Amino acid sequence: MDWTYLLIVTVKVIVVVVGLLGGFAYMTLVERKVIGRFQLRIGPNQAGPYALLQPIADAIKAVFKEEIIVTHANKVVYMLAPAISVGFALAAFAVIPFGPDIHLFGRTIPLQIADVNIGLLYILAMGGLGTYGLILGGWSSGSNFSLLGAFRTTAQIISYELPMGIFVASVVLGAGTLRLSGFVEAARPWYMWIWLWLSFPFYFTVMLAETNRSPFDLPETENELISGFQTEYGGIKFALFFMAEYINMITASAVMTTVFFGGWRGPFVAQWPLLGVVYFTIKTFILLLLFLWVRASFPRLRYDQLMSFAWKLMLPVSLIYLAITACLVVLV
Amino acid sequence: MATLMEISSQPDTAGETESVQRLQQQFPGAILATDNFRGQQAVTVKAERLLDVARFARDALKYDLLMDVTSYDRLQLGEEPRFVGVYELHSVQHNRHLRLCVPVPDDKKPQLPSVTKIWPTANWHEREAYDLMGIRYKGHPDLKRILMPDDWVGHPLRKDYDINREQVPFTVNWGDPEFENMGQQILEPIVPAMEIPDGMDHRHLVINIGPQHPSTHGVLRLITELEGEKVVRVDPDLGYLHSGFEKQGENVRWKDFAYYTDRMDYLSSMSNNLGYVLAVERLLNIEVPPRAQALRVIMAELQRIASHLVALGTAVLDLSGTSMAFLMYAFRERELITDIFEMVSGGRLTLSYMRIGGLADDVPPAFDYKVRQVLEVMPSRIDEYDRMLTRSAIFRGRSVGIGVLPAADAIALGVTGPMLRAAGVPYDLRKLRPYCGYDQYDFDVVTETGADVYARYLVRVNEMRQSLRIIQQALDSLPEGPVNVDNPKIVPPRRELLDQDMEALIHHFKLWTEGMKVPAGSVYSATENPKGILGFFLVSDGSAHPYRLRVRGPSFVNLQALNEMAQGQYVADLIASLGSVDIVLGEVDR
Repeated sequence: MDWTYLLIVTVKVIVVVVGLLGGFAYMTLVERKVIGRFQLRIGPNQAGPYALLQPIADAIKAVFKEEIIVTHANKVVYMLAPAISVGFALAAFAVIPFGPDIHLFGRTIPLQIADVNIGLLYILAMGGLGTYGLILGGWSSGSNFSLLGAFRTTAQIISYELPMGIFVASVVLGAGTLRLSGFVEAARPWYMWIWLWLSFPFYFTVMLAETNRSPFDLPETENELISGFQTEYGGIKFALFFMAEYINMITASAVMTTVFFGGWRGPFVAQWPLLGVVYFTIKTFILLLLFLWVRASFPRLRYDQLMSFAWKLMLPVSLIYLAITACLVVLV
Repeated sequence: MATLMEISSQPDTAGETESVQRLQQQFPGAILATDNFRGQQAVTVKAERLLDVARFARDALKYDLLMDVTSYDRLQLGEEPRFVGVYELHSVQHNRHLRLCVPVPDDKKPQLPSVTKIWPTANWHEREAYDLMGIRYKGHPDLKRILMPDDWVGHPLRKDYDINREQVPFTVNWGDPEFENMGQQILEPIVPAMEIPDGMDHRHLVINIGPQHPSTHGVLRLITELEGEKVVRVDPDLGYLHSGFEKQGENVRWKDFAYYTDRMDYLSSMSNNLGYVLAVERLLNIEVPPRAQALRVIMAELQRIASHLVALGTAVLDLSGTSMAFLMYAFRERELITDIFEMVSGGRLTLSYMRIGGLADDVPPAFDYKVRQVLEVMPSRIDEYDRMLTRSAIFRGRSVGIGVLPAADAIALGVTGPMLRAAGVPYDLRKLRPYCGYDQYDFDVVTETGADVYARYLVRVNEMRQSLRIIQQALDSLPEGPVNVDNPKIVPPRRELLDQDMEALIHHFKLWTEGMKVPAGSVYSATENPKGILGFFLVSDGSAHPYRLRVRGPSFVNLQALNEMAQGQYVADLIASLGSVDIVLGEVDR
């Protein structure tokens, strides 16, 4: 294997991980600011200009907090759970193309860590595995509230992976590929675009549940379960769970950008390939704001309502959508 | 039974007298005495016949709402026997009020029959009387302490209880051996074995919701038995905020207890002030000038809006988590009202604006403008809530059919206020027993028929609209004149007068050295607070201090219905039901 190839991949991995962690850190700030505005407040404004140092202050606080391990906890699993969550959350981003190919030093470098041919399946798999972090964390904490949170996570994941998988399948049918870079480059007639966008609200709803965001943040539900699966976590371990949630949110938005909104495509990308990264970031950011908007506006669903919503509404809708897509693909 | 029934709009005094006569005919030997003081009928009943009389009063005379169960200790009055149990009965249907006084036969081991079988609401009241006065109630299903710790020695409300027993460390008594262990922390955490409370199934999951929990609205502990996510039983554990206001009341002057009422339901201190001063004024048999009455109404209604805003905000918060924006919307509006309160009284939360005999002071000139601002802004803001919540599918899904408490159960459990009106009973003391001239104003009693969380939300939203109507009318017809009664034995003279008038100086001196004397007797006074009926039962021995001061807090009584509402529903619904009760722990524990 060419050593430069290895070097390039390493550099890309570092860039993506640093980008995601930075994105996570500043996403917390953005969220606090935006939710603050929604709630007629100002939000954080003390640490540095526009509170830009707030994430750093938060990080320092989380790292230096006293580490408390609950007496009842299963210690190995308890320590491992946040790591599992963050690990898989980071890994999921590997297949997402965040820009067009660029040419450097006579080489063509795709702005994507791994362009695997089963990209979407990989993302589904990583999302499913990341849930283990929540379940194990809730189970190993030795607290009833955590346990209830873990149960809810399990049930929620089973309910939501199914319609999500079916929506993904219909998107795949339309594009004819599982490769994520294939979605960006896929050429569709206009009516197929409209048909694709019709499924976006459903897919977005499923993604809210998949990332445990309000109004589907039932594993947490601070009003009932205090903090759900992470009740007994504090300091950096809590921050890791927090990080996993935000990185999942970023990944989910990135996937939606790629699948529904043409990824990095936009005007003048052919002339300046790096513009693609900017377009990609902007599109992802707008979707992230959508997550926050929903969070500030809706009450939370109840646990059983979420289940019936998933099984009685989302599943049939996704199946019908899949059937019609299949017909369209074959006939048109 | 009582769905949207006809309720007579005037207190039925003739009917009250008739009830007393019928009781006398029915139980000739059991009725020891009758009394009519300040227009209130009281009947003294023999303890042995209490259950028969109570059952007759409920079934034949339709006294279906047991407002309060309390007791007082006559040790310093020199009367025999020492303890008296007091039952405040109310007939929702006939709008009648009747007090049963039951002398407790044995001074050493005071015991009364429990009326929980007749009025389930007596459960917590009797536990409280047992806890604080030491009267045992025979036949009570679960007679244990409710406010004080389980291992507490003695009963604080007894007159021979030493209130200085519990020492507070100061430099003067720091050497006391009692404080030897202070400052030494427990370093090893003790993990006690989880004990399943009596009556709960060990196969179920028993969790403590609270005392440190985001949704308990204070320090309340709900021992909750769960089967899966379904609630089997909820057992609220109270008393974390117990501060003994009733005992305090016996040791401060009449005037000074008004400041304590601020701290009970601190979200509606104006209404608490009003309830207390009206009770004392009834004992004094005085009526405040029209301007003071109108201002009191304006304040009470502003306070109702402010309290409902917090109730709605936190109830929605319980359904949606901290990020949902509605709470802050509610607080934006409440801010306008607290600004007005700050303007008239100087405080924003604890106000003490209403005083015995009138108000602390007249309102400043800008008051009119500020209140009109609220009147102008609020309707559109309430419409905004409608758009945000009333029509929201998720909100309806979370609240319709949740925590249902039908009218019959609500009355049996003594539930009042928006919770009772949400069950379809148009029961509002402002209409039924008008005080402060509420009868001059045109407003509707808001009712809903759902009896669920959603209906309670709607009642509160619409009550805010009605309160705005009342404020508008009261402000438009605000009379000129003094805001205090012209009686220097009750109301202290103004500061300027002290420099000019010898008599004013003497009155001031007397008021501050001896205090205001209140005629001997006992009254019960109830007002319609934002959360329900706030009742004061006052016993005066003619001195400057209350002899017995009993507070019937609506939050305390309404909270008792939580188990009824939450059984068989999900944990999330338990939280929603709790939010819809609208409790303030300061009042629950008092």
